[in-house]
Amino acid sequence: MNTESEARQWLERIRALGIDRPVRLMNVCGGHERSITQAGLRGALPANVELIPGPGCPVCVCPEEDVYQAIRLALDEKVTLVAFGDMLRVPVNVPKGEVRSLVEAQATGADVRPIASPTEARRVALEHPDRQVVFFAAGFETTTAPVAAMIAEGIPDNLSILLSGRLTWPAVAMLLDSETPGFDCLVAPGHVSTVMGPEEWQFVIDRHGLPTAVAGFTPESLLAAFYSVLRQLQSGERFLDNCYREVAHAGGNATARRLLDATLDVVDANWRGIGVIPRSGYALKPAHAGADARLRFPDHTDPDRRRAGQMPPGCDCARVVLGRLYPNQCRLYGSACTPRTPVGPCMVSDEGACRIWWAGGVREAAPVAVTDPI
Amino acid sequence: MCLAIPMRITAIDGFNARCEAKGVFRDVSLFMMQDEPPAIGDFVMVHVGYAIQKMTEAEARSTWELLDQVLEETPN
Ligand code: SF4
Repeated sequence: MNTESEARQWLERIRALGIDRPVRLMNVCGGHERSITQAGLRGALPANVELIPGPGCPVCVCPEEDVYQAIRLALDEKVTLVAFGDMLRVPVNVPKGEVRSLVEAQATGADVRPIASPTEARRVALEHPDRQVVFFAAGFETTTAPVAAMIAEGIPDNLSILLSGRLTWPAVAMLLDSETPGFDCLVAPGHVSTVMGPEEWQFVIDRHGLPTAVAGFTPESLLAAFYSVLRQLQSGERFLDNCYREVAHAGGNATARRLLDATLDVVDANWRGIGVIPRSGYALKPAHAGADARLRFPDHTDPDRRRAGQMPPGCDCARVVLGRLYPNQCRLYGSACTPRTPVGPCMVSDEGACRIWWAGGVREAAPVAVTDPI
Repeated sequence: MCLAIPMRITAIDGFNARCEAKGVFRDVSLFMMQDEPPAIGDFVMVHVGYAIQKMTEAEARSTWELLDQVLEETPN
């Protein structure tokens, strides 16, 4: 069977369920949101099934203070600052005329370089033994595990890491523990589950009774997951389904999990515009403190700086990340804020819902609110 | 950043693998595959330069198709 007819079959099955009330499915992965938007799955589902993009963008929730610190390291400590390309255009809150992103720091002469892999960070450090190189690493588990692998494998003395690694499930747990979670079913992330194991999501069923399915990234896999959770909702059955079995195996990637455990501690962590979520972040273990850029260099963050830690003025990114608001319900979407002139991180990052929707052709303000807006 | 891409392993040297996807070659780390070391010819899901899991050729091909569409539709 070709993939298109498989997708059509899943859609028919979903329609045949005869969902007769509004249902909200949340995804927590920028990759899922991109596939959903590019394939037009929102429009293909029954009108009463809403697909809500949730916390799926690590760049969007990377603390503003960390971005500020990275900029200051590049400018004041004159380090070579390497980071995944997305991070370079994330703006911090500084008065007009001051350097507000890593890309602007680069334009003023700072040595800022985009990289695509932790292995590149190591290579840059090896090629420039006379320079301090700082790897500003923001990411969820899938990205943080390779950072852990790089640390475990051994890194040159002149390389240190400014780590802003985050865990996905604690953000979902925080939403579910709130009075208004805002969704009825969870579509769990495919590659986070590949690394950490699908079982991580079992709590959504056991503690909260919400249908949950792990999805891959093809429309067929996503539709299979939508069908699974909707069917669970209809039948009253509850189980953790895995619609990405080929890649997300039980137990996850054992090596990756061991490397994470060996090099990093799980700590309380701040999410930009959202606040501290318990045990939702990674920090280097004391044994690797020598490679921790937070310890190697002075702390340049100034808590008295205006709007430190917040989203840019007028930017509703934090509520978009939490699935409280669709991107095009932000007043700045498409007017002041576009990928060319991004105001907030959700329009900067390839995993930000605002950018994904814009790239997917959504040009208008939202006609309807997310059901039950908060 | 988070886009993971299936690749086929064409050569292995320790933890480094030469991998190929649709005519594009990349060096990929196998450091996270120590519990299930892949072999030459295997398909792996690659994320930020690291193989994170083995996969079947069929799964690799359907993901490639999807990526083609995404790249076509994403204005840069
Ligand atoms: S459209 Fe721009 S300003 Fe509005 S939430 Fe998204 S990133 Fe922030």
